[in-house]
Amino acid sequence: MRKEVVGPSQLLAMIILFELGTAVLVPIGLESGHAVWLSVLFALPGGVLLYLVFAHLYLQFPGQIISGYTRTILGPWLGWPVSLLFLPVLLYNGSRNLREAGDLLITASYDKTPILIINSIMIIAVMYILNKGIEVFARTAEIFLWIVIIMGCICILAVIAAGLVEYKNLFPLHMSDYVEALDSAYPSIWIFPFGELVCFTTILPQFSRSRKVKKTGMVAVIISGCLLSFTHAIEMAVLGENLYSRTTFPMFTTITLVNVANFVQRLDALVMLTLIIGVFFKLTVYCYAAVAVASDLFKVTDTRRLVIPAGVVMLFSSFVSAQNYSEHMNDGKAFLETILPVFCAVIPILLLLIHLVRRRFGLYR
Amino acid sequence: MDNRTQQSADAAQTAGSTSQQANNSPISTQLEETIRAIQARLGNSPDLVVRTYDLINRSARVAAVYMTGITDRGMVEDFISHVMSFQALNDGAMLAVTPEEVHSYIKENALSIGKEKLVKDINGLLEALLSGDTVILINGLGEGVSGSTCGGEVRPVTEAGTQVAIRGSKESFTETISTNIALVRKIIKNPDLWTETMKLGDITHTDITIMYIHGVADEETIKVFKKKLQEIKVDSILESGYIEQIVEDNKYSPFPTLYNTERPDSVAGNLLDGRIAIFVDGTPFVLIAPTTFFMFFHTVEDYYQRYDISSLIRMLRFVCLIISMYGPAIFVAALNFHQEMIPTPLLINLASQREGVPFPAFVEAVMMEITFEIIREAGVRMPSPIGQTVSIIGGLVLGTAAVQAGIVSPAMVIVVSLTGISSFATPAFNMALSIRMLRFVIMGIAAFMGLYGIAIFTIMLIAHLCSLRSLGVPYMIPMGPFVPENLKDTFIRSPISFMKLRKRLQTNTGSTSASPKGASKRKSDER
Repeated sequence: MRKEVVGPSQLLAMIILFELGTAVLVPIGLESGHAVWLSVLFALPGGVLLYLVFAHLYLQFPGQIISGYTRTILGPWLGWPVSLLFLPVLLYNGSRNLREAGDLLITASYDKTPILIINSIMIIAVMYILNKGIEVFARTAEIFLWIVIIMGCICILAVIAAGLVEYKNLFPLHMSDYVEALDSAYPSIWIFPFGELVCFTTILPQFSRSRKVKKTGMVAVIISGCLLSFTHAIEMAVLGENLYSRTTFPMFTTITLVNVANFVQRLDALVMLTLIIGVFFKLTVYCYAAVAVASDLFKVTDTRRLVIPAGVVMLFSSFVSAQNYSEHMNDGKAFLETILPVFCAVIPILLLLIHLVRRRFGLYR
Repeated sequence: MDNRTQQSADAAQTAGSTSQQANNSPISTQLEETIRAIQARLGNSPDLVVRTYDLINRSARVAAVYMTGITDRGMVEDFISHVMSFQALNDGAMLAVTPEEVHSYIKENALSIGKEKLVKDINGLLEALLSGDTVILINGLGEGVSGSTCGGEVRPVTEAGTQVAIRGSKESFTETISTNIALVRKIIKNPDLWTETMKLGDITHTDITIMYIHGVADEETIKVFKKKLQEIKVDSILESGYIEQIVEDNKYSPFPTLYNTERPDSVAGNLLDGRIAIFVDGTPFVLIAPTTFFMFFHTVEDYYQRYDISSLIRMLRFVCLIISMYGPAIFVAALNFHQEMIPTPLLINLASQREGVPFPAFVEAVMMEITFEIIREAGVRMPSPIGQTVSIIGGLVLGTAAVQAGIVSPAMVIVVSLTGISSFATPAFNMALSIRMLRFVIMGIAAFMGLYGIAIFTIMLIAHLCSLRSLGVPYMIPMGPFVPENLKDTFIRSPISFMKLRKRLQTNTGSTSASPKGASKRKSDER
């Protein structure tokens, strides 16, 4: 079987879709108040640096995913358990996305459908696409990026045309707002959504032009950061700080307010489609990452055999892990504050430092 | 001397014919024996003609063998009289001749008719006979000379029946492979237009010709394709559809990965794009490979009309694609799950229409769609005078009557008919069929899961499309993998002066990213 490859534009599309996945929908960085868009921009340089860490590690160990070079850098006795810890983190974080999508869909129009059905349909699609391989997934992402861009443009134009945007919700910015924005940017927004790029350490080995890996990724992270900031600014401008922080899905609420000339209205469907697409791609990346790590650790040659087990685990943990949405959000907060930073930032940065030290002092055998 | 023997049934010979089927004996030196063997192998077919001649004072016995119907009468006469002409010339001089002398003389003269060949065994002889050749056999010599006298009744070149263009060539292919090849050669007058011929089908021995422009088409693709053709093991090839179904990369996909056309200009355009054309004897439909998904929505005429008009029409076709695929599904989903999506006045309207309808929207939609499919299917094979009756009964009576009887709502009739008409806007019939089939699947999913189901199914569908390859070329090129250069000629058709580069067909299977290898001088994409 020939090696599957991912081209630069495909990596770009995947990163953008991954970053926007759920982050455009749920409120992020609540502490920053109306300066949420600013905190996204503050977190962006950190996100780019974090991506560079991943990219640098990949360039140091081309052809190896994160669990591979963890074992090389830390040695097999320490590296194997550390890599193993990634597995539940990836699976759980993926399942959280699934849960969020399922809950939004139930809120929106499927109030009589059990969450099991909604989530399992999504997971079936994920399994299907991962069975086709990462290359097919990358191409699909490329096509859906266009679809998402078109739908996003329609939504934003409609919101602006409806005259809903009120700048007084965004400005003025005081010194304290900057401080708050910075507070919520690090580590909260830095980790979610930028830190989650750790998943891409499993995709980078398939990248076709390793020389462009840093440039492509940086461009993608910057674009997605700007889009994210812009979307949240619009949401904030339309809803105001109070409403923004109280709604579960601010973007959804924003779009329901649109009414242009009594004709362009009820664009909820577009938001729902964006959500489905975004969550789908995020979920698939998580699932792929989990499958890749597992197959690397347990030496499974045919990675496709692990797709179904990983998908089933995700499906069940998506609705078993929390009884209701508020509990889910609380869990998420704790998870975001304690566990995720360790795996998204601390471990990779430490790995890089240890690697640099070991290489500097010739400690590799 | 000219004792023509129009063969009649010869019961004595048939006994051994079945056992002779397989054996390929060399041609006997005895003329009579050879003729008997041929007759036996052909089951004493009445269309076999054997004419024997005694030449030069009966010192040489020669027979001309051919099949009537598939040979051109004039050419046969010409050939025979040419080959035998030495009799008149040398009658006086040659008193007695050896078979070798006759043979060498005949061989020399046979040159004048062209395509002369030596046949050494019965199978070769039969193959020549059945391809329309006339074979000259000489008594006392174990070989024959065959000359091409291929002919017979052919359908003349007429206007295209399935791919009509308002502007552009009116010629279309016929059932004769040589005519079809000539039609393309007339358009591309270039020595680099290469063809290769093979015979396929263990029983039918159908002529297959593949045509490509040397230097433009990718060598690797041609090699792969030829290998695929050579591996075909079937009894019969009756139409190019047989080959299409055998060589397809992905047999379980609803989407066609080979394109077929009956327009020579379309073939020429595709050849210039680096594609390969496959001609099959006996059908006017020529296959083209590799294909892309978007190719099925382009027509040759797009390049003949002005670019702005063509671009708009192309975009219209893609809108039609979406309508014909999702029309009823979105309607069903909106009625069942997303009533809030429909503006209130319209919703009230729809609700009042559906008040008396006893079925759920999905059943209603499926019923109407199936009715439409029945009308269409019945209309296709009807003789044209009756066809109109069918459409009147189907369209007017069923449509209005069903509404008045309260079986379906008027809105559903509108949706279904719009969908039906949209599906005919797809230029490629085989693609339209696939889409029509998928429409039912999407409808079912919409009834089950609403818009969410449609979205998930669409993601899976696009993933499936992205996984397809046609002879190694990704099916969704130029969208996935993304090739910016080709976008000039995908959803829109930019002015010809903008399209300096030939459309990039990614033929090498190793890379998905756009490599500049296929980019050569001029571009022209006609489907």
